[in-house]
Amino acid sequence: MDVLNTIVNAGIYALMGLGVIAALGAVTCRNLFHAGLCLAVVLIVVAGTYLSVGAEFLAMIQVLIYVGAVLTLIIYAVMLTARLSGGEASASNGQAGPVFAACALFLAFMAPRLMKTPWPVSPSALSATLSVNGLGQSLMTTYVFPFEVLGILLFAVLIGAIVVARKDKA
Amino acid sequence: MESIFVNLKGAILGVLGKFMPEWTMPIHSIMISITAIAVLGPAIMMYLTLMERKVVGRMQNRIGPNRVGKWGLLQPLADGVKMLTKEDIVPKGADPVLHLLAPILIVAPALLLFAVLPFGKGMIAVDLNVGILYFLAVSSTTTIAIFMASWGSRNKYSILGGMRAVAQMISYEVPMVLSVVPVLLVVGSLSTRQIVEAQASGWFVLTPWGFFGAVFFFLCTVAECNRSPFDLPEAESEIVAGFHTEYSGMKFALFYMAEFMNCFSGAALTTTLYFGGWQGPGFLPSWIWFFLKTYSFIFVMMWFRGTLPRLRVDQLMGLAWKFLLPLTLVNILAAGLWYYLGGILKFFIPLVLMAGSFTILTWLNKPYVPEKREYQFAD
Amino acid sequence: MFYGYGILQGMWVTLKQFFASYFKKRGQDGALFTVEYPEQRLPEKERFRNFPFLIYDKEPENLRCVACDICAKECPPKCIYIVREFDKDGKPLKRPAIFDIDFTVCMNCGICEEACPFEAIYMDHEFEIASAERNDDLLYHKDDLLKSNAYFHKIRPNDATAVDAKLKEAEDKKKAAEAAAKAKAEAAAKAPPPPPPAAPGTTPPPQPPKPAV
Repeated sequence: MDVLNTIVNAGIYALMGLGVIAALGAVTCRNLFHAGLCLAVVLIVVAGTYLSVGAEFLAMIQVLIYVGAVLTLIIYAVMLTARLSGGEASASNGQAGPVFAACALFLAFMAPRLMKTPWPVSPSALSATLSVNGLGQSLMTTYVFPFEVLGILLFAVLIGAIVVARKDKA
Repeated sequence: MESIFVNLKGAILGVLGKFMPEWTMPIHSIMISITAIAVLGPAIMMYLTLMERKVVGRMQNRIGPNRVGKWGLLQPLADGVKMLTKEDIVPKGADPVLHLLAPILIVAPALLLFAVLPFGKGMIAVDLNVGILYFLAVSSTTTIAIFMASWGSRNKYSILGGMRAVAQMISYEVPMVLSVVPVLLVVGSLSTRQIVEAQASGWFVLTPWGFFGAVFFFLCTVAECNRSPFDLPEAESEIVAGFHTEYSGMKFALFYMAEFMNCFSGAALTTTLYFGGWQGPGFLPSWIWFFLKTYSFIFVMMWFRGTLPRLRVDQLMGLAWKFLLPLTLVNILAAGLWYYLGGILKFFIPLVLMAGSFTILTWLNKPYVPEKREYQFAD
Repeated sequence: MFYGYGILQGMWVTLKQFFASYFKKRGQDGALFTVEYPEQRLPEKERFRNFPFLIYDKEPENLRCVACDICAKECPPKCIYIVREFDKDGKPLKRPAIFDIDFTVCMNCGICEEACPFEAIYMDHEFEIASAERNDDLLYHKDDLLKSNAYFHKIRPNDATAVDAKLKEAEDKKKAAEAAAKAKAEAAAKAPPPPPPAAPGTTPPPQPPKPAV
C-alpha cells in the first residue's frame, strides 16, 4: 500500500507543479486567449487539490462555477473586446526586475513561518463539515443569516446587471 | 446473465491477482472499468450515428443507409474510414494550439461523464458520492472547448456559431441543475447509485413533480447536446456548420463523437434520475433495462429531430430564461410539498401547483404577434 | 389545448410515418418511396427521351431509313453522319451504308425524330450506356442503332401504334392509287379505238353503243 500511496502523492505533486506552470503561463502569455486557457488549467488544478484532501463537493463546485461560468465570462470578455487577429497583451512594462525581487523577499519571509505553523486538522471534523450533508445542515442552521444576506446580495447584483445591460428606451 | 460483467471483472482481477503485486490491484480494478468505458463509448457513438440516420430516414418515408452490410450495419465503419482518410485542413490564420486542442477537450468531458452512470446493479465505474454534481460540473466544461473551436477557426461564421452555442449551453445549464434538485431533495444524496436504489418503491416520473421535472430535464439535455430543435449552433442551413465549420477529417469525427456521447449520457442520466435507472421486472437483466430505457430516450431525441423545425435564437433563450427557469423553481417547491404532505393531498397539491404555474407561464410568454397591417389602397 | 399540444400532434404524425414505413406497400400513405436502384427500377414514362435509334420492320436489312440526310441536316450539334449505299454498278440505293451518331455530342433534343419523313429514327429510353472510355465507345454505328419495331412497341406503345397506323394508311393509299391507275389503264386498253372522223356531207356511220360505265 505504501507504493500506492507514494504513487498517489507523486501524482498530486505533479499536478500541483502543472498548476504552477500554468499559472506562470497565465501571466506571461502574449495571446490573451491562451492566457485564459492557462487560467482554466490553474482552476482545474485547484479543484484537483481539493479532491486530494477529500473535499469532493468543493472540488465539483469549483469546476462548475469557476471553470464553467467565471472562465466562460472571462473568455467572452476577451473575445468581444479583442480584434479578430487575436488579442495580444503587451510583453512587459519594464517592472519585471523589482517585482521579482519583491516576490522573492515575500517568499523568503513567509515560507519558514508557513512551515512552522501548526495547521490543526481533525479528520472527523473534516469529513463532517465538508460532506454535502454537513454543509447543508450548517448553511441552514448555523450560518443561515449570512446565507440569506448573500442571497439578497446576489439578487441585487442580478438586477443591477439587467439594469446596466438594458437598452435605453430613448 | 444478470451480473455477467461483474463476474467477468472479478475473474480478471482474480487472474491478475495471482502474479501482480498487491498494491497494483486498485489500479487494475479501475483500469478494467476505464477500458470498458473507453471501448463502449465510441462503439455506442458509432451505432448511434447509424440509428439516427435510419430512424430519421424512416420518419421521412425513406430507408436509411442499407448498402454497407445487411441493414447498413457496417456503415459506421465506412464512415470511420472516410473520416480517417480525409485531409486535415487547418486554416492559415487559425491558431494552431486552439484548433488542435478544441476537439480533444470536447471529447474528454463526454467520455468522463460515463464514469458515474449506473449501467446496472453493481456496475458503476466510479461510485462518487457527489455523482450528479460531477456530471453537471464536467458537462459545463464543454463550453470552453466550444469557445476554443470557434475562436481558433478564425472564421466569422464559426465565432457566431460558437457564441450562440455557448450562450445556449450556459442558459440551459441553469434549468438543468434546478430540475435535478427535487430528486436530490427526495433522495437525500448526490450519488447516482443511491438515486437509482431509492426508486425501488416507485419511479420518480410517476410523481407530479417528477413528471414535470423529467420533461424539463430532458428538454435541457436536448439543448445541451445541441440537437434539434435546439441545434442553432450547428445549423447547417444558416451558418454553414457553426463552430465546427473549419474542421475536417478526424477532428470533425471527434466533434461528432462528442455530440453523440453527450446525447447518450444525457439520456442515461434522465433514466437514472427519473425513470428508475436499471430497475425493471426481473425477466431481463438490469443492464438491459438500462440500455432499453436509454435508447428509448435517444429515440425520442431523434424523433424531435425528425419532427420539429429549429428554434430561433431569441425563442431559444426565451424558453430557457422565461419559461423553464421559473417552472423549475416552482418544481422544487412542489417536490418539497410532496415530501412533507401526506394522505390524499400528497398528489393533488403539487399537481395543481405545477399545472397552474405552467398555465400562467404559458400565458405570460405569449409570442409577440405584430398587429395586422391595414393596407389602405390594396384591393 | 395546452402549451405543447401542437408539438405532440406533429410528433404523432412522424411516429405514424415511422411505423407505417415498415408495413405499408408503395402507394399507400406512409409507405417508403425509395426505389432501391439497381435492384428495383421505376419504369420510364413513355414520353421520356434519351438517345435516338433506327427502326427496322421485319429484319435489320429492311430498315426504314432511306439515307435522305434530313436528320443530319436538322441536327443542331451535327452529331449524325450518313453515307448513302451504292450498288455494284454505282447506282445509289435507298439505304445508308454508314449511319453514325456521336452520343458524346447528341443533346437528346429529338429534332431528328420530328424531322424524319420516313418514321425511321425515334428516341430511345436506354440510359445505362455509361462507358469507361472517353470517345470511341460512345460513337454508335448503324448496327448498334438498329432496333426492331417490336422493341419500339414495347417502349412507346402509343407512339408505335400511331406510327404503324400512319404507315399503314400511307401504304393503303398508295395501293389504292396504284389499283385505280391500273384499273384505269386496263379500262383504257379494253375500250375500242375511237371512230375515224366523218367526211363532210355524209351521215356518220351508226356508232356502236357505248359500254355502260
